[in-house]
Amino acid sequence: MTTLPLAAGSDAVTCALCGFEYVPGGDSCREHGCPVAFGTCATRHCPRCGYAVPDERRSLTARLVRRLLGRRPPAAAGTLAELPAGRHGVVARLEGDPGLLARLTAQGFAPGVAVHLVQRTPTFVVELGETTIAVEQRVAEAIVLDDTASR
Amino acid sequence: MATAPATLPEGPAPAVAPGAPGPRRVVLLGNPNVGKSALFNALTGLRATVSNYPGTTVEIYRGRLLGTETEVVDSPGLNSILPLSEDERVTWDLVRQARAEGGAVVVQVADAKNLRRALLLTLQLGQLEVPTVLVLNMSDEARERGIRIDAAGLEAALGVPVRATVATRGLGVDEVTSALTSARVPRNHIPMSEDVAGPALQLLADGETPPGAVPAFLSRYHEALLAHAGEIAGRFATDAEPRGRAFSRHLGRIAVHPAWGWPVLAAVLWGLYEVVGVFGAGTLVDLVETGLFHGYVNPWVTSLFAVVPWAAARDLFVGEYGLITMGLSYGLAIVLPIVATFFTAFALLEDSGYLPRLAVMTDRIFRVMGLNGKAVLPMVLGLGCDTMATLTTRILPTRKERLLAMLLLALGVPCSAQLGVILAMLAAVPVSAAAVWFVAVAGVMVAVGWLAARLLPGERGDFVVELPPMRLPSLGNVLSKTAARVEWYLKEALPLFLLGTFVLFVLDRARLLDSIIRAGQPLVTGVLGLPAEASAAFLIGFLRRDFAATRLFDMSRGGGLDVVQLVVAMVTITLFIPCIANVFMIAKERGWRTAAAIAAFIFPLAFAVGGLVRVVMLGLGFGGI
Repeated sequence: MTTLPLAAGSDAVTCALCGFEYVPGGDSCREHGCPVAFGTCATRHCPRCGYAVPDERRSLTARLVRRLLGRRPPAAAGTLAELPAGRHGVVARLEGDPGLLARLTAQGFAPGVAVHLVQRTPTFVVELGETTIAVEQRVAEAIVLDDTASR
Repeated sequence: MATAPATLPEGPAPAVAPGAPGPRRVVLLGNPNVGKSALFNALTGLRATVSNYPGTTVEIYRGRLLGTETEVVDSPGLNSILPLSEDERVTWDLVRQARAEGGAVVVQVADAKNLRRALLLTLQLGQLEVPTVLVLNMSDEARERGIRIDAAGLEAALGVPVRATVATRGLGVDEVTSALTSARVPRNHIPMSEDVAGPALQLLADGETPPGAVPAFLSRYHEALLAHAGEIAGRFATDAEPRGRAFSRHLGRIAVHPAWGWPVLAAVLWGLYEVVGVFGAGTLVDLVETGLFHGYVNPWVTSLFAVVPWAAARDLFVGEYGLITMGLSYGLAIVLPIVATFFTAFALLEDSGYLPRLAVMTDRIFRVMGLNGKAVLPMVLGLGCDTMATLTTRILPTRKERLLAMLLLALGVPCSAQLGVILAMLAAVPVSAAAVWFVAVAGVMVAVGWLAARLLPGERGDFVVELPPMRLPSLGNVLSKTAARVEWYLKEALPLFLLGTFVLFVLDRARLLDSIIRAGQPLVTGVLGLPAEASAAFLIGFLRRDFAATRLFDMSRGGGLDVVQLVVAMVTITLFIPCIANVFMIAKERGWRTAAAIAAFIFPLAFAVGGLVRVVMLGLGFGGI
């Protein structure tokens, strides 16, 4: 992933095709010669490769289609405890009691590791690769996810 | 190596000179659920406990490598060589022992589907400088998932022999045996910052983790190992395709599903009841006790002893409190069929991978009692044998949890022998009366657990449980494991049954039994409202409560107890300490003071609750039934 220092970090998006991070807006649409580059178009173009993605914040239709297909829009992740069930995330770091951290790292939790939260009740069930692990809320809170990489 | 550098020089000599007969000892080691016990069975031709629940193999299994004198030791699964709990210490001690003596080799069993996690251990073995052979087990499952592993490349990168196996089918096992002589210390050039490597190597060298507090650098040490392991795994293994083994995957998810998990749990409990309560305690006991013992064995033995001229000797074996007619008859005819069916059912659950999922479903309930879902394993095993279950409380991470679990096991979890008898007795009373027994026992357990959790000092451990894939249990493993447990149980229980019978016989001969029954009358008749003869049952209940329950069962079958008396007797005896062996086990694990305190708490409580249940039941109008 190409990481650029961005001023407005919260508005930054990652291009799904080339991985370039950019803040939507500006004249990239017109520069790429888009025929519908006027006013309130609900698609965004990556300034590097020109790949277009629907802007779900602006398009109700895109949100509906996404929901029909069963794929929810990306959200800021925080910790594993805040991730909705069924979603994927990437571990950013672990925070908490040294004993718990030693146990979690021995189980394979480490920065950069992709996790998939299967369910949240009765306990959290999370998959890391081929390993499935059940943890309780307070353990899930110790696993901080990478905001930009959650889907 | 008190001050070992971050990277140790490589190229150590093989553990065993080439051409030598082989290592003297082989220690099997690996993450949980990678098939260590299956490989152990394949290597030794001997059966060990093959478990699907992380931490079940608290005991160590030993055997001999087929056709050799080499000792093979199976160890409990672990995720890091450095122990974080009491049961992980077992493996740590074994590895250190193997390291200290010459001619010992570690065979690390890895799940071929999960190379990164396995390599964390391999790297640690390298830092410990232990000669190792790496076995990639379940390589068939890995292939199904589209994972390709370059074994030769991995071998070159790690510097140890790497062999692929399918241990459950015996594939590749001979190659592991022949690789033993070429075991090497894994390469240990691991990029790691000095402030982590220093203390970590010190810890490995010292062999002792500081009691209580886990040092903060440990997680960063694991992270560094994982990063390096991930890099190696990425170079020599391709990623898994997300599909494959769909059925097992779905079943595993349904079993912990927020909604569907409950019907599954209910079905499992119902199945357990059908197998143990209906088939074991009903059909089998009828067959063995009524058919075999009452029909053939007891009359035959009695006629055999008829030639003995001394009445005392006759009664000792075949009298009312005869060692054969009562002791053996109870132990073999009533208890054995129940225990055998329970352990069969338990082994099926264990090997299917359901038990950790049960931990997920019951986590909330156990949290009320100051425990977490992990405690479900000792509790369910306690339904088989509380003494055995007391030993497995070691899998619980904190001292407080182990003590709580032991207390609850001793207090309210009926062992299979007792459970079977109770179920048989409860079958004779209305469902509402049976419900009173359940509510009373469960209520006391939750109340005592809740209170004790608040009164006892200490913390509850974190709930982190690995869920192994659901698998079809292998019949051979289930049967051999059941046989091993039944044998253990008989060795524990039968002598106590005989001792209990003997005590009753002596008391009876010395005319003391009547006075004891009279002495117990205020308590047994006054408080509990039971016939005076029940005193004798409670007396032997101090030795084994299932023995007492069996005695009460006998009384009730003769029509000696009404509904209220039956439920009161059942509640009281269920709350008794399971058996004298259980007290010994608690004393062994936690000291005599704890054991004495638990006993001093439980016995008065049992009678008090029994008395209370009687008052409540009479108040509710059960007396008229």
